[in-house]
Amino acid sequence: MRILVVEDDPDLNRQLVTSLGNAGYAVDHALDGEEGHYLGENEPYDAVILDIGLPKMDGLRVLESWRKAGRDFPVLILTARDRWGDKVQGFDAGADDYVAKPFHMEEILARLRALVRRAAGHSKSDLVCGPVHLDTRSGRVLVDGNQIRLTSHEYRLLSYLMHHQGRVVSRTELVEHLYDQDFDRDSNTVEVFVGRVRKKLGVDVIQTVRGLGYVLGPPEPAARA
Amino acid sequence: MNSLASRLLLAATLCSMAILLIAGFTLSSTYRDLVERGFDARLGVYLRALVGDLSRDGEFEKLVFTVGEPRFEIPLSGWYWQISKRLQDREPEIRSSSSLFDRDLPFLIDSDPEKDMSATREAYTQGPDDEALRQVERVVQIGDARYVVAVAGPTGEIDAETHAFDTALTTTFILLGISLVSTAALQVGFGLRPLTRISRAIADIRAGRAERLEGNVPREIAPLARELNGLLDSNREIVARARTQAGNLAHALKTPLSVIVNEAHASPGSMADKVVQQVDIMRQQIDHHLDRARISAGVAVVGAATEVGPVVEGIARVIEKVQADRKIAIEVTSEPVSFRGDQQDLEEMVGNLLDNAGKWASRRISVRIQSDRRSAQDHWVRITVDDDGPGLTPEQRESALKRGKRLDETKPGSGLGLSIVADLVRIYGGLLTLGSAPLGGLRAELRLPAI
Repeated sequence: MRILVVEDDPDLNRQLVTSLGNAGYAVDHALDGEEGHYLGENEPYDAVILDIGLPKMDGLRVLESWRKAGRDFPVLILTARDRWGDKVQGFDAGADDYVAKPFHMEEILARLRALVRRAAGHSKSDLVCGPVHLDTRSGRVLVDGNQIRLTSHEYRLLSYLMHHQGRVVSRTELVEHLYDQDFDRDSNTVEVFVGRVRKKLGVDVIQTVRGLGYVLGPPEPAARA
Repeated sequence: MNSLASRLLLAATLCSMAILLIAGFTLSSTYRDLVERGFDARLGVYLRALVGDLSRDGEFEKLVFTVGEPRFEIPLSGWYWQISKRLQDREPEIRSSSSLFDRDLPFLIDSDPEKDMSATREAYTQGPDDEALRQVERVVQIGDARYVVAVAGPTGEIDAETHAFDTALTTTFILLGISLVSTAALQVGFGLRPLTRISRAIADIRAGRAERLEGNVPREIAPLARELNGLLDSNREIVARARTQAGNLAHALKTPLSVIVNEAHASPGSMADKVVQQVDIMRQQIDHHLDRARISAGVAVVGAATEVGPVVEGIARVIEKVQADRKIAIEVTSEPVSFRGDQQDLEEMVGNLLDNAGKWASRRISVRIQSDRRSAQDHWVRITVDDDGPGLTPEQRESALKRGKRLDETKPGSGLGLSIVADLVRIYGGLLTLGSAPLGGLRAELRLPAI
């Protein structure tokens, strides 16, 4: 999952980036409205954390402009002005949730998880595919009730596929959503990670669609046997 | 003497009274002069007849005087004549009308010897019977002898006539005075009517029914109205600026507070716990005082009107999105009506109520906006928020409205929500009631002034 953080306070920005990174997200960040707007227009994010009071370009204008351009990733707005009028404005501009400053990082993480999950069409925090369970809240992966240990990159990959199960996900899409923009992208590493995840899960839920990418779905009964 | 009307009225009354008094005295004395002159002319006719008789030849003692008026013959009738012949170094000889008997009239020439001898003298004198007389007198020189001829008549006629005139005059002038004063009262009332209108307009502004002093203001008080409007504008501006500054301060504080609390979380310890705890208190204090500042500023903002429907619908959209996981449906039915007050205040009240409903409802929230119009002055908007949650017991409802009360610490929120609503409602003279909803949960009902 790849997240964009747009916040003009450098300390808060750094804290958000660190916390999100620790929580297993790939994170890009911007310190002003214009930069944030540019990144949101051009990179495929799974969610955006957007401060309303931004220099150069106001947060609400950034958001409106994204929505006008058809960017539909979930947006969590941060606001110090938590009057109802501000909230209505924010939601009408296209926000999906808001957190009032000052906030606890856990709240941001919880809201973000819910937003990403909801955007992918899941209403529960526990994602299930056959024998595989992924609890987005705790970050635990279970196969047939046994916990599997994954590295953060492996977790990101499985989590993305679990969120979008039943749909073919290309290698490029995986790269774009699993790594932040500074990462040295090499689609071959994706193959390596997919192989490792398959091995750790031990069940055949990730199928390769030749020439297109991967699709995650419940294992064929025949394949399982 | 603090009323313009009574000042004007008093001035008008005093002026017209003074003018009427002066005019009355002038008219009365002029008329009396005229009546006197007429009476003197009559006496003069008799005087000329006596002088005619006197100028005939013969002894003074034997001369016959005929005046042709019988009242000179009736004793003490009030009508008298008297002639005295004066020669040098001799006692004067006197002839008089039989009405005088043995009495005599005073001679005006004795009391006023300096006057021109040939002139006619007129004066009020006293007769033999102590009655008031009008007397005319002439001095006639025939040869060596000087005759002083005097004729007198009773003043009753003069008095009666002038008295009749004075009575008529007084009556007329009193009526005239009354009508002058009442005309002045009408003028004052008419002239000062714009002031009454203005004071009503100012009352409207105070009550929030108007924003500025509008309409046709008389030229004399136009500067006053202009200044008042300027004052209102600058008042509004100050309030707006204070709000903005309070908001700016809050905004400026909240980001550093976020940084502090996150930093504390990153390095756990007793110090960090303390910091987190204190930051929480600071955040609550900021929110609390921001709300207080807004509430006290809110009353100063006059003449605001806010359409209720769009505000409620906007907030409903927010709640639906915030509670998206729980798929709560908010149904808003609204009549077109405007709240007489600030939009932000309405948003706070409706927002807090809907937020509570959103936290507790299991699937449905129903909001109804009604216009409750009894008369032009007695017009209310009623906002009813029902949910299908667990609801509250009567005791819980009562304590929910108290300051800072939180019934359930597990649901997020400062707990100030409902008491802020109650405070705002009180300021607008409205009513907040909690009850049970037909849907099964809590019913919160707001009654606010409408426009």
